[in-house]
Amino acid sequence: MSTAAVAADELGRDYGSTRALDGLTLRVEAGELVGLLGPNGAGKTTAMLLLATLLRPSRGHAAVFGQDVVRARRAARRRLGLVFQEPTVDPFLTVRENLDFAAALSGLDRRSARDAIALALQRMGLAAFADRRARELSGGWRRLADIARATLHAPSLLILDEPTVGLDPEHRAALWHFLDALRREQGTAVLFSTHYLAEAEGADAVVLLSGGKVVDRGSPAALMQPFGSSLLEVEGPGVPALVTALQERSLAGMIVRAPGGCRVALGAHRDQALELAGTVPGITRALLRQPSLEDVYFARTDASALRGQSS
Amino acid sequence: MMALYAIAGIVRRDLRRAARQPSRLIGGLARPFAWLLLVASGYNAIANPGTGGTYRAFVFPGVIIMACLFGSALTAVSTVYDREFGMLRLMLASPAGAAVVLAGRAVSATAVGLLQGLVVLAAAPLVMHITLRQALLAALAILVASLVSALLGLLVAARLRSVENFAGIINVLLFPMMFISGALYPAGGLPPLLRWIARVNPVTHMVELVRSALGQPTDLTPAANLLALGVFALVTFLLASILFDPEQRFTGRPARSHS
Repeated sequence: MSTAAVAADELGRDYGSTRALDGLTLRVEAGELVGLLGPNGAGKTTAMLLLATLLRPSRGHAAVFGQDVVRARRAARRRLGLVFQEPTVDPFLTVRENLDFAAALSGLDRRSARDAIALALQRMGLAAFADRRARELSGGWRRLADIARATLHAPSLLILDEPTVGLDPEHRAALWHFLDALRREQGTAVLFSTHYLAEAEGADAVVLLSGGKVVDRGSPAALMQPFGSSLLEVEGPGVPALVTALQERSLAGMIVRAPGGCRVALGAHRDQALELAGTVPGITRALLRQPSLEDVYFARTDASALRGQSS
Repeated sequence: MMALYAIAGIVRRDLRRAARQPSRLIGGLARPFAWLLLVASGYNAIANPGTGGTYRAFVFPGVIIMACLFGSALTAVSTVYDREFGMLRLMLASPAGAAVVLAGRAVSATAVGLLQGLVVLAAAPLVMHITLRQALLAALAILVASLVSALLGLLVAARLRSVENFAGIINVLLFPMMFISGALYPAGGLPPLLRWIARVNPVTHMVELVRSALGQPTDLTPAANLLALGVFALVTFLLASILFDPEQRFTGRPARSHS
């Protein structure tokens, strides 16, 4: 019997003739932070709804702490905390009343509910807003209230679908801080999705989805490793000439096409490559930076991504 | 036990919402009171319902049921708001499950209908003399009528996708149910087909229950009315839970599950 927080095997779901998700195999251990990454339409929400027992898989199996998401739906739900894309707070109720409602839904008795609500309010920095109606709150605070809502019953696995969409940096930081604390103190496993790829760099593992399929997976460090330590982002009509020149001299590592230009991993020959780039005409923009998960994503979803000969 | 906490939580939330939107409660009462005070005043002069009393006294039970029916059914139909704003998904994703969500919503919708029905009943002194015993019996009838109306509303809400259909529900379902019943005029005067519809219409049975409680003549005995309403309630509840539960159609919304 598996005791992984999430064990999904070849999980898939169709909507009519559309394959929204295909062949997702995923393992999240207790206490791990795992990100599902990809653009809109990649299959992230579908994957999460399947794991959340809210959709029935068309193919494959999944279990949450060993509880099958179809056959043992209720048992699985007890271990789950869910945060959906749209905040699910009742605008007519105060923050505290919203939490009270969620606690009751999870079957907490009055006393446990009161304690859990007080703790969640304090942890989220929401205490000052506790008795304000949710409709009076900014989107950021409403989102934090929503996340507090999902953690009241101390779930062992928290599933968050694009939790940071539309959040300002302050609330975003508060959210990640809260999730860190939850993992440290309660060993909660966290599975989240995002299309802000940089956000996932602190994850234990990420799964890159595109068009419903897994295109790559691994720890962010391992995924970024082929890009070395520096990456040159270039734009302009001279890009093809520069790429050819770099390849001829074996100065380029991985080369990834991005909108409007190219991203070139430079590896050990950084200075030579930069010197060369300065001599090629028609480069309107050149930026030297560290590689990111976004580069990995572009590389994996770009069928024409070129492997360099060196570095 | 967990299910009870969940039901209590759903009821607390619904009643808080109802209390914070007093315009809806007042609006719900405007309809029956308009009928009782305005329409009935006019009809009093020309109508003879053939029951020995005034038209206003005749229509009083019907108006009480009008308050219950609209109050309960529309509260239950507000489940659609929850679906539209994701709250239903939250409820259905809880360990409690769909049956508990339905039960909780049924209880709170019943409470709203009961409250509205009782407010109309409290206006009895304006219409007719009733004894305490009659009032208590009528309150019980109002409770039954509200529960049945709530279940009817849940059945409607089981598949409804958007709130825009609300007005349609009122016009296509609730008004005809009121009109093709013995609520506003004696059903005996209707053409045979409509009379038959009135006989199976649960509103007719609700109204007759209140009539019996208030000592007015009825076609059927209260026991027969209760039996009819019991069968209707059972079928409605079963249908509603079937339409709500299996596969998560209610949350799947493929068109919007875009990523």
